[in-house]
Amino acid sequence: MVKKFEISNNIRRLRFFASEMTQQELAEKVGVSRQTIIAIEAGKYSPTLELAFRIADVFGVGIGEVFQCDLKGE
Amino acid sequence: MSYKEKSTLASILSGILILGAYCLYAFQPSRLAALPPGDLKPWAVTMLVFIGIGIGVTIVIQIVFHILLSVGLAVKAAVENQQNADQEIERSLKREMVEDERDKQIELKSMRIGFIVAGIGFVTALLSLVFYGSAVAMLNIMYLSFSVGSLLEGAGQLYYYRRGS
Repeated sequence: MVKKFEISNNIRRLRFFASEMTQQELAEKVGVSRQTIIAIEAGKYSPTLELAFRIADVFGVGIGEVFQCDLKGE
Repeated sequence: MSYKEKSTLASILSGILILGAYCLYAFQPSRLAALPPGDLKPWAVTMLVFIGIGIGVTIVIQIVFHILLSVGLAVKAAVENQQNADQEIERSLKREMVEDERDKQIELKSMRIGFIVAGIGFVTALLSLVFYGSAVAMLNIMYLSFSVGSLLEGAGQLYYYRRGS
């Protein structure tokens, strides 16, 4: 059976350490709407791999530092 | 509520109005009595006219929405007494009009709802022809199912935007 994963992220924390970068600023840097950043931050939307890499690139960290997968069970 | 949600809501409302207008016009007893039974041509003409009206109304709504958004942003810039207000309005417009991967995903998901409803309606229309033999009923069920499918597609879009995706 396929294991279930829950994807969480540290975008809020990373924005804070990036001089309190606003959601709008991040959205403009990665080329999406602010609503998409809000949805990603709230864990309601899982971005494509490309967008995930772009977000990580903005903060200058690896993708694993931005997004984590929590194993929910089998 | 984002620009896209407002625009979708307006499209749904206009869709309901057009569907209501079609039902009121097409099924009025005096018109039904005057139509030759089994003649599909007047029904086809009516549907084509309402499809045309629907396309026209959708285009007008998009234009009106764009104008209202620009006016709203201009007023906001004036109230905040911003320097370079024109550039700020342009930037704000771009921000509102951005279409990204989430928008495309929501569009695809909601389009599936529309296709399912239209598909069910198509099969129902064929079944009605098989069991009742009325081509007029078949044509109307098809038209109504496509219209309702379009409305539910919009409702699905609103739901996914509200939910996040």
